[in-house]
Amino acid sequence: MNRGRGWLIGVCWLMSLAGVAAQAQTSSAQLSISLSVQSSISLIFQNNPNVNTPGFCPLTNSGTNNVGLDLGTAAFPGSFHTSTCVNYAHVGAAFYQVSSAFDVVVSKANTSSPSYRLAAEISTAPPANVVWLVNNVTLSNTAFVALDAADNYGQAITKTLQVQVKNTVPTQTLQETITFLATAN
Amino acid sequence: MSKKTAIILVAIAMALLLAAASARAQNPTASGVINATLVNKNGISLVFDTDPAGVTLGASGTSAASLDFGTVSAFGPLSSGVTRPTVTATNYTVTTIFDVMVEQGGLNSNSYTLSANLAAAAPTGFTYQVDAVTLTTGAQNIQTNGTYSTDIAHNLSLVISTAAPGAGGPAVGTPLTTTINFTATAN
Repeated sequence: MNRGRGWLIGVCWLMSLAGVAAQAQTSSAQLSISLSVQSSISLIFQNNPNVNTPGFCPLTNSGTNNVGLDLGTAAFPGSFHTSTCVNYAHVGAAFYQVSSAFDVVVSKANTSSPSYRLAAEISTAPPANVVWLVNNVTLSNTAFVALDAADNYGQAITKTLQVQVKNTVPTQTLQETITFLATAN
Repeated sequence: MSKKTAIILVAIAMALLLAAASARAQNPTASGVINATLVNKNGISLVFDTDPAGVTLGASGTSAASLDFGTVSAFGPLSSGVTRPTVTATNYTVTTIFDVMVEQGGLNSNSYTLSANLAAAAPTGFTYQVDAVTLTTGAQNIQTNGTYSTDIAHNLSLVISTAAPGAGGPAVGTPLTTTINFTATAN
């Protein structure tokens, strides 16, 4: 009887030891994450699908919000223009116009805004008898000029940049930085 | 007094002096012992550390740290240490890096397994990922062979829907807080 009880105690002791050994050591910790989400929209310029055909010059850095557009060299006499991707035309009796189209894409995130309005502004006052336009809307360097009131997000909106130069303008480089502003409606 | 008597007296005096010196050298002494005990326990600990490339953690170096992404958006500026690796039409991801350090003592273990879970369901419009493992409220392994006593960098990514609030997107302009539980288990 005593011998049996001794065996029982021994077995229980061994089992308790095995239980302790099987318990893996763990350590826990908590990382608290905080943030605040803000609505945002973005604007990028893209090459039009018709790029490199007349009226659609390629942009440098297409797909970004800071691109370049080279309209080449042009003159009034003889409808002279060096670029093969611009549209060249005489406007009235004394002006010529060089133009090229590109696309504007505005995307949205975390906003219920259904559409956006688009405006543009040139950086400096152009020389006399030089006019910068987008889709026939004359641009100013003193205020943004409205182009569209309700464009759809995520869709490419084709815009045409035009430069009109009178035949009295002396030889010079005409350069502008044109800022496009999209505002959520 | 004869010379012999004088010699005897000197001898007696010297004997007395020697006896006195001997008596002075036998001061009382006492002794004791300290029975010291130390119970050395085995254990494992986990702390979060700020990664040089990530957001500065609150209470870095502890097991209860905080990580603030600041204001995030699909197209706007982000806080230092936060990156935005992807933006698609349906969602965007903001990411930062934090370090986990696990130490052990007294264990016969060469590595640990790191698991994580969300303390509560993710807010609407959010998916939380640690090292590309999408977190749920159930524990999932992040790493199965972590090295002890080394800061190990982990990516924490938030995939955020671009949908508008109320249309499946996250709340806008409202501080959101989520707690992620991490557990290190000795292998």
